[in-house]
Amino acid sequence: MGYVAVKGGTKAIEASIERLKYERLKDEEILEVNTILATMKAMIDQVMSESSLYSPYLAALAIKQAEGSMEEAVFLMRAHRSTLPRLYYSQTVEAESMLVERRISASFKDIPGGQLLGATRDYTHRLLDFQLIDEDQSDNEQWLRDYKDKLAATRAQNEVQYFPKVVDYLREEGLFEKYEKNNTDPDDITKQSLQFPASRSAKLQVLTRGQTGAVTSLGYASLRGYGQVHPNVGEVRVGNLPIYVAHPNEMEQDEENEFYIGEIRVTEVESFVPVTVKNEQNESELEFEIGYGICYGQNETKAIAMSILDQCLEHPEAEFPTHDEEFVLLHIDSVESTGFISHLKLPHYVTFQSKLDSVRQVKGGDKDEN
Amino acid sequence: MKRRRRTEILIQSDSSLARSFAEMITQNHECQEIVAPQYGLTMIKMRESAKNSLFYIGEVLVTEAKVEINNQIGIGIVVGMQDELAKHLAIIDAAYKANLPEVEEWNPQLQRAEQQIMSRRAKEQADLFETKVNFETMDV
Repeated sequence: MGYVAVKGGTKAIEASIERLKYERLKDEEILEVNTILATMKAMIDQVMSESSLYSPYLAALAIKQAEGSMEEAVFLMRAHRSTLPRLYYSQTVEAESMLVERRISASFKDIPGGQLLGATRDYTHRLLDFQLIDEDQSDNEQWLRDYKDKLAATRAQNEVQYFPKVVDYLREEGLFEKYEKNNTDPDDITKQSLQFPASRSAKLQVLTRGQTGAVTSLGYASLRGYGQVHPNVGEVRVGNLPIYVAHPNEMEQDEENEFYIGEIRVTEVESFVPVTVKNEQNESELEFEIGYGICYGQNETKAIAMSILDQCLEHPEAEFPTHDEEFVLLHIDSVESTGFISHLKLPHYVTFQSKLDSVRQVKGGDKDEN
Repeated sequence: MKRRRRTEILIQSDSSLARSFAEMITQNHECQEIVAPQYGLTMIKMRESAKNSLFYIGEVLVTEAKVEINNQIGIGIVVGMQDELAKHLAIIDAAYKANLPEVEEWNPQLQRAEQQIMSRRAKEQADLFETKVNFETMDV
């Protein structure tokens, strides 16, 4: 599509930006970045995930600047990301190293290591809590003291426990196919634009940074019949993953001499999807495959929806939109979709004028004939 | 102590430990700043557990610093915006690379700090275990 430049409006634009600031400041309340950081964790997680940049502090700043608009906050983070140099690539992160804080299975009630609810809203009443209107700092401090006193009695084991993957046990039983470690370098859609058919690594990269609402909607569409994947959630886990980086110059590849640089918090999901396959006797058999989902922070709905879409895209089916990789991957990016929709607000005078001229010509022609 | 273990201890424990080690070095040795603490990105490579392949989950903001001591370059990298800690980590890294005598004294302190980190984590995990659930299926 060709664009035609327009000019003018400098003073109005300056006044508009001033007005924007006025709208943010007029009620004379200041929201501290640290307050957002401490109290808006779900929003921060969502912004980090969709912007593909893990930095809780910057996400809180973006939310403040964007006045809570998710699309604007993600846009700000993506823009900021583009100003920073990529200094390192991490060593491969293996999810078994996760320090788990929540781990549940909807498929098996007795999973090895047990189920851990952690912090979840799943079992809360969805009723407005009017007490929060008059929340008091001293009351909160008292509650925290009482809670910590209650926990003081808990006895810790000598070592931290790491949880095995549910799917590993099922693989040992021969219920799932075993795959050797594939160490092929992944594609990077931030360095090279998406090509179709997309590699598995590119698909997962696009899905994990997809807009939460879009990923959820398309995953939901698959469940409702616009796709053919309806999984059982095998395992949802939330926790911290340690990140290691190799020395940039040392020739010796010694794992023990890597840098530990910190950790990131993620949600990871493995969904079990029944598929029908033909056996050696050409008979139909039921098997299970795994749909994989992961995203920054705690966002279980998105990670589950991603695991559905992962399976959909592994099995292309022309009749279902959620199995079409171009349809899914090109429409779930926050900046791409909101940017393209919102560009419609900007001046399109020449393109519209040419369409108007065509319509007038047709209408005028009709009049002449009458 | 090798880098992986010591960087984990220094980053996970109170930042005063890294500061005290770094100050000990800068008081006794000439330390030249090669790269002042700067913000950058580290791309995270993940292994997915469906087909055991690799993909990029996204980037993490890091602070990086480089210093030189006795012709040895030390690097400090840490997640987040942590200028001071990145610089201290770089100084400690250079001290280890240069085999400075001070590093000999650090092992016991690092081991104690590691023990504290492990105890803290184990206690946090025990607290979380209060939310362990045992669902039972009901006959209907």
